[in-house]
Amino acid sequence: MIANDNIKQDIEQLSGQKLSDCYQCGACTAGCPTAFAMDPVPSQSIRLLQLGRYDEILNAPGIWLCAACNVCGERCPRGVDYGKIADTLRTIVLRNKITHVTLEQVDNKFILDAPQQAFIAAFRKFTT
Amino acid sequence: MKQLAYYPGCTLYTKSKNLDLCARESAQILGFELKELETWNCCGAIYSTVQDDIANQVAPIRNLIEAQKISNKLVTLCAACYNVLKRSNNYLLHKDNEIYRKRINNFLETEYDGKTEVVHYLETLKYDIGFETLKLKVKKNLNGLKVGSYYGCLMLRPSEELNFDDPDNPMMMDDMFSALGATAVDFPFKGECCGGYVLVNKPEVATKCSQTILESLVSAGAECVATTCPLCQYNIDNQQKLMSKQFNLPIFYFTQLLSLALGVDEKILNLNNHYIDPKPLLKQKGLI
Repeated sequence: MIANDNIKQDIEQLSGQKLSDCYQCGACTAGCPTAFAMDPVPSQSIRLLQLGRYDEILNAPGIWLCAACNVCGERCPRGVDYGKIADTLRTIVLRNKITHVTLEQVDNKFILDAPQQAFIAAFRKFTT
Repeated sequence: MKQLAYYPGCTLYTKSKNLDLCARESAQILGFELKELETWNCCGAIYSTVQDDIANQVAPIRNLIEAQKISNKLVTLCAACYNVLKRSNNYLLHKDNEIYRKRINNFLETEYDGKTEVVHYLETLKYDIGFETLKLKVKKNLNGLKVGSYYGCLMLRPSEELNFDDPDNPMMMDDMFSALGATAVDFPFKGECCGGYVLVNKPEVATKCSQTILESLVSAGAECVATTCPLCQYNIDNQQKLMSKQFNLPIFYFTQLLSLALGVDEKILNLNNHYIDPKPLLKQKGLI
């Protein structure tokens, strides 16, 4: 659907990460603060990419739960930064003009209450 | 008085004025001036790690260029600004990004070469002022106050790029509180993510992340918490109303407690700008 013929090259180039470097130890998932709600979790996402199941992961809800906290990249013994891969996957979706969040979907009480930093960050990561 | 270029950022001008004002007041007492950039724009609040995403690098780099008019160091307070500005500078300096460096410079009509050093206010306190000197300036010792220093993600990671402190066991803020006379409470979730901007699309997920941190703080014996980031502050303070457990734990900006110790007027601390009222605790400790 979104994935084109160059998808693997695109992901590796944009994220600066080599997908085959991951040996599936799961340290990224163990440290991820939102893994409890994430589907698929970081290590599974990388595995799906290694297997060439690009569309599956580009359409998965899991990539939108990354809070960019960078624990995964910090702790990876193979130097793979899943945060950068997730950022790239979201960017590929967004560059296909598929927006993830609209202002109407956001709870009004947050709009009045929360620091604007939250909205700037969220709308940068979640909108085209 | 030594002047240092200072970048407040968007949230410090609105929701988190006390983080900003307390830092400026404390700086005066400690002998330096935070000289705000003449013109500045939002840094973007979150760093884009996508290699070719140069559009998101332009805004932070404009601020780095503006800083050069004042000093080679640019002081930040908000953890997100610190993270974004410092990483954008690294992006520009990276050997693989020469083509992007040229493109950004062409667009901005400058020859910026990455000379601005982005530092956090805490680093200025530690390396330029020194915690020993800070100790001598304390007017109101925070003796008996058990503070948990919560750093969050953006100050610490990626440690390779930020080089702020040990990413697994940061101590800089703890050491500052020890110098102010408080008891620095050690807890294992100092650098755990509060959920950040995930609050906007999945508030229940962010709230759960914050709850984990508060549980860790309470079991370690913290009576209050200090943060450097307005979003961390919001997530672990305001979101307490949505949590399945009642913590009643006051959440400060580190500059509020710094100002309190240095004898800054209580009005500037703006202790009413909290969901969990910190005044009863401070009264009980004889600090206000």
